[in-house]
Amino acid sequence: MILDIVSAALLLAGASQCLLGALGLVRLPSVLSRMQAATKPQTLGLFLILAGAALRVPLESAVTLLLVAVFQVITAPVIAQLVGRSAYNGGSVQPRLLVVDELAPRMPSEGPERPPG
Amino acid sequence: MNRALSVAWLAFVWVLLWGSFTLLTVVGGVLVGYVVTAVWRPGEMQGRLPVRPLALLRLVGFLARDIVVSSAAVSWQTLRFGPRTRGAVLELPLLSSSDRVVAIVAGAYSLSPGTLVLQIDLRESRWYIYVVGPRDPADVETARRAALGVQRRVLAAFGTPEEHRTARELEAR
Repeated sequence: MILDIVSAALLLAGASQCLLGALGLVRLPSVLSRMQAATKPQTLGLFLILAGAALRVPLESAVTLLLVAVFQVITAPVIAQLVGRSAYNGGSVQPRLLVVDELAPRMPSEGPERPPG
Repeated sequence: MNRALSVAWLAFVWVLLWGSFTLLTVVGGVLVGYVVTAVWRPGEMQGRLPVRPLALLRLVGFLARDIVVSSAAVSWQTLRFGPRTRGAVLELPLLSSSDRVVAIVAGAYSLSPGTLVLQIDLRESRWYIYVVGPRDPADVETARRAALGVQRRVLAAFGTPEEHRTARELEAR
């Protein structure tokens, strides 16, 4: 009974994190900020859902769920950096959305293309 | 020695993938590990990292807390500012010369919500990270301090004593 309640709370909390991530994907203005919403609350949401699910399945399957979490942790940063770097170099980062950009002066030749105005 | 560790790790993942701890999966995992490490040689290691278990434990605890706190912060930005959310690209000093420590710090930055490593300049020893959320120069400095704190915590666990000291001095500035 208590296990069910804990599990349900974890699943719901995880689902709401994923929902907030999806909302961020729609509402946030740039590739980089959208990536934060798409990857990070999602990671927490996934952990919570996995924890909630792990309470309800046999131990052996719960261990496999641990593997899902491990792969999430070791792959997400790699992908985040690749996409972020490409977005920056491809000029998808709008300067007006940045308070400061300390990278721009460093890469005059391959910096993002500034849209006029 | 390093290869044995790689094999053990691969065997562990293999057993988890099968989801059952039996003789067959363990032996199979070790075999797969040997084949994989024979075909793809692990990269050259540059000597051992100093590992401080207590600091490492603190780092893991910090990251676990950080992912919750910063997830809430990103969600708040989404709900409160939405399309008017702003960000900043910061230049930070890179304090370690070890590839593995750099990889760990980069992982820590990318894992915690709201930050993302854009560029690592090993020659100039500089990080460039994107932070979501800052709206004015004061926020930028808060974010810079937080990012330096992440690096300091990783160096406390894996860095040399000098690197750790430099990190602390930079953060206190």
